Amino acid sequence: MAAVTIEGLLKRFGDTEVLKGIDAEVPEGSFAVLVGPSGCGKSTLLRLIAGLEQADGGSIRFDERNVTQLEPRDRDVAMVFQSYALYPHLSVRENLCFGLRLRKAKQKDIDKRVDEAASMLGLEPLLDRMPKALSGGQRQRVAMGRAIVRRPSLFLFDEPLSNLDAALRAQVRVDIRKLHDQLETTSVYVTHDQVEAMTLADVMFVMNRGRVEQAGPPLEVYDKPQSRFVAGFLGSPAMNFLDGKVEGEHVQINSPDDGDGPRVKFAPAAKATEGRAVTVGIRPHHVEVADVGVPLKVTYTEALGGETYAYGRVAGQPIVVRLEAHERVVPGDVLKLGVDPECVQLFDADSGRSLRW
Amino acid sequence: MVRGLRAAWLGAVLCLVGLVVPRSAQAETLRLWHAYRGDEKAALEALLAQYERDTGVHVETLNVPFDAFLSKLQAAVLHGEGPHLFIDAHNRLGALAHRKVVAAVPDGAEVAPVLREAAREAVSMDGRLYGLPISMKSVALYYRTDMVTGPPDQLENLRQTLRAPLGAASYPLAYASASLYFHAPFLHAFGGRVLSDDDDFQFVGSEAEASLRFVHGLIEDGTVPASADGALVTQLFSSGKAPFAISGPWLASELPDGLPYAVAPLPIIGAAGEPMAPFLTVESVFFTPDGAASPRAAELGRYLFGTEASILRRRDARVVPARRDLPPSDDAFVAAFEAQADTAVPMPKSMAGQAVFEPADKALKKVLNGTMGAAEALAEAEFRFDDVQRPPPEPASTTPALLILGALMSLAALAMVKRARDRSFRAEVRRSLPAYRYVVHAVVALGVLVFLPLSAGAAISLFAGPPDEQYFVGLHNFWLILTARGGPLLANGSFYLVLLTTIAWTLINVFFHVSIGLLLGTLLARPTLRFKGFYRVLLIVPWAVPNYVTALAWKGMFHQQFGAVTAFQLKLAGLLGMNMEPIAWFSRFSTAFTANIATNVWLGFPFMMVVTIAALTSVPKDVLEAAKVDGASRWQRFRLVTLPIIRPNMLPAVVLGSVWTFNMFNVVFLVSGGEPDGSTDILVSEAYRWAFTRQAQYGYAAAYAVLIFLLLFGGTRLPAWIKSLRQRSRSVGEDEPGPVGRPVEVKA
Repeated sequence: MAAVTIEGLLKRFGDTEVLKGIDAEVPEGSFAVLVGPSGCGKSTLLRLIAGLEQADGGSIRFDERNVTQLEPRDRDVAMVFQSYALYPHLSVRENLCFGLRLRKAKQKDIDKRVDEAASMLGLEPLLDRMPKALSGGQRQRVAMGRAIVRRPSLFLFDEPLSNLDAALRAQVRVDIRKLHDQLETTSVYVTHDQVEAMTLADVMFVMNRGRVEQAGPPLEVYDKPQSRFVAGFLGSPAMNFLDGKVEGEHVQINSPDDGDGPRVKFAPAAKATEGRAVTVGIRPHHVEVADVGVPLKVTYTEALGGETYAYGRVAGQPIVVRLEAHERVVPGDVLKLGVDPECVQLFDADSGRSLRW
Repeated sequence: MVRGLRAAWLGAVLCLVGLVVPRSAQAETLRLWHAYRGDEKAALEALLAQYERDTGVHVETLNVPFDAFLSKLQAAVLHGEGPHLFIDAHNRLGALAHRKVVAAVPDGAEVAPVLREAAREAVSMDGRLYGLPISMKSVALYYRTDMVTGPPDQLENLRQTLRAPLGAASYPLAYASASLYFHAPFLHAFGGRVLSDDDDFQFVGSEAEASLRFVHGLIEDGTVPASADGALVTQLFSSGKAPFAISGPWLASELPDGLPYAVAPLPIIGAAGEPMAPFLTVESVFFTPDGAASPRAAELGRYLFGTEASILRRRDARVVPARRDLPPSDDAFVAAFEAQADTAVPMPKSMAGQAVFEPADKALKKVLNGTMGAAEALAEAEFRFDDVQRPPPEPASTTPALLILGALMSLAALAMVKRARDRSFRAEVRRSLPAYRYVVHAVVALGVLVFLPLSAGAAISLFAGPPDEQYFVGLHNFWLILTARGGPLLANGSFYLVLLTTIAWTLINVFFHVSIGLLLGTLLARPTLRFKGFYRVLLIVPWAVPNYVTALAWKGMFHQQFGAVTAFQLKLAGLLGMNMEPIAWFSRFSTAFTANIATNVWLGFPFMMVVTIAALTSVPKDVLEAAKVDGASRWQRFRLVTLPIIRPNMLPAVVLGSVWTFNMFNVVFLVSGGEPDGSTDILVSEAYRWAFTRQAQYGYAAAYAVLIFLLLFGGTRLPAWIKSLRQRSRSVGEDEPGPVGRPVEVKA
């Protein structure tokens, strides 16, 4: 097991800077998730950790060992690829044995470990099959088995669930977490799916455009987003954003005409100076229908059975709110929304940085 | 539409007319074939032009290369399109008569008295004259008047005539020693002969051995170069590195103008006590059967043979005429050759006579470069000669073959009838009828262009005898081949030895093809390589150049004196401070084989390289990355991941390459030519020799071809057959893929 420490990592492809200085710490034995939109550099970061790419600057350390210049084979990592990358010409058993055979392990030990991994993942009946005779889910398990057998100090997962269908994805997600808990090996997991990130991570790194925007336990990042991007990335439906100006304890929401827009009260924040242009962030489920409050003109509703989503505008800016299932709302209604000041996020209108955290 | 059709018909009619008309116009023209070059060609053309001016008869000439003469003549005469007259050397008379392309000279008895004795004898068969001799050629002694005082009285006293001592790398006498034609003067001086009157091999015995020992002695004491060909002799004589040379009148045209030289008849050999007597070649005008029947052709022949023509030829082309009723020449050059012609021995003209040279040349080579003793080499030559001359096999009864054929055909017919009666089969055929329309032309084309010639060729293997009188011998040819004609199984020229050579040739070549192709393909597939396009083009070039061009170029490079490889070898040796003799690449099996392999590897690796590049694209990049992370080094990734994945893609290419290499005629024939002594011949080139150089033994060669086909067919079917056996044993344990997404049970 190793803790991973990344400092100032830079990576360029031609003229494009893909990683612009990454600092990250993955505690030993934890499950770290790199999450972000496409092109944010998370896969590149993972490949740098694996040693499949060479860094242009900065360092990567496993515990105290500087591995930045080391070949993958010397780093003692195991990787599960998005496309599984099984050896097509070898049977499942041989796929599992491959890494150990390279390290000249004794056949007895190899067999023991292979059987162990096979039983952990339910691969026993498949051991003599060729990869092309396996389903997607089976192949993914073999890919994981191949990584487990090696007993490395670090597991790396490159979007392993992307190629599975939705039902399977949910199931395997749980299995991966259970596996991690059993083996207690440090894992770094890359995904673009924030649900996977939220449910799997011990520590989550939200990345955007070659930088780590925020790192921390999932719920902390969710509740205390430090930037507008992070706030909008996590949560579904996404957080609502309203532009306005600070006026004392309230934010005056900008209105389309010159008149006064609605006002939202927020919890005290030192940086919320008077007159500052801010963006207010409110999650759809943090509002309540009340008698007085921010007026929402409903334009569209989605009834999901367990809950209902109402889409509309507040002072001309688009909003979606979550309502209890029993609340009957039709387009055209004007709802009054009440918001708990504690749940109101405040971001600087230009930089997007949070004014609360 | 109608207009187009009409135009097409008109065109067709015109074509037909065009084909027919020249035929009749040819009745007015005489056709004459020859193989002359240079002055002789000019003289001939001048004579023909004069003839046309005098008689108004146009003579159409065709210049045919010497080697192709015989087969072209035969083919043309067979179809009635041959020449009326042709000019050829008398020693081919036997072969010409055998192929029935020559007829007796009309009114030959009138002509005979005018001829020199030797010339008359040379062109007579069964008491009749078969050609009109127009020139006599032999070798004589050339000498540099600026370097020697004159011809020696005895060959042994050559050095005494030198005006000044010779420089380094010089020889008193240069001639092509390893050729029976040039060795003949020595042989005849010692009283030996090449062929008896009964067509028995006579280049054996004490006289022949004495002549060989004598020449070997000349080589040993540096009088004569160890091995020289015509080009080298010319070069040595003209550059002054050899003041004496033995060559024929053709040498004169290759010497620079103003070179001070003269010619004299060959001297006496003191040790033999007799003068050196070279072979005499009598060039003659021959009549084809068509020509002999044409009075116009007879007239032309007499004109070419006439005194005027002879004198002109003697003057302009400097050849010795065969008539003896001419005024003496004032050209010292011609006079010398004329004097030599008196002692020259006419070359044998029977077909056996032609068969003497191949084994005799081989024996000469071996004896003169010290590889074998004289007696042994000559005995081997005699054995070879008898082998080639062996009487053709007895005709076999066709009954068993016809019975078998009949049985097979009835079985096939029965099987077809049985299938045809099956209703579902008939329905299927009816359904597929439209498809046959698309396929029928390809089937017909393949049938006519591939299967028909293949079957015809295979059928020839069941026959033997001269080309126009083949008779059925059943499987006798195969029997002869597979029992190595009664000799030891691994004797030189036996099927099994050649087979082993061919297998070694194939294996070694394919090994290098695949390794080099694999290496270069892998290098070129690297994404970071610059100038990739340039390298690809450069590396395809060996494959793109026609391979006989390549073969000839490499042959030149391996030349012991002038070759680039030799120059490189000497340069390298010089750099390393070693004193090396230039390697005689084609004098030993190992080096000749290496030369062939080098050429063929150069030719063949691009194909494998291209196949490798294509196959490498099928290796998924992430599988290689997985191997990297699993801990494989670059070599391990290549060996354990890349190679197994591309192997099924490479296999067809390797099979193809093996088959092509097994049959690579061009390289073996053109580079080493089977040297030394036929040991580097592979099955195809050996088959070629049987068909085209050893008296047209087509049936034997066809049997060779059938055997090659069977070998390759079996060889390529073998892996597939083994694979199907293996698969049958493996498929016992196969099941269907399992259901999708079983829940994973992670044991706590």
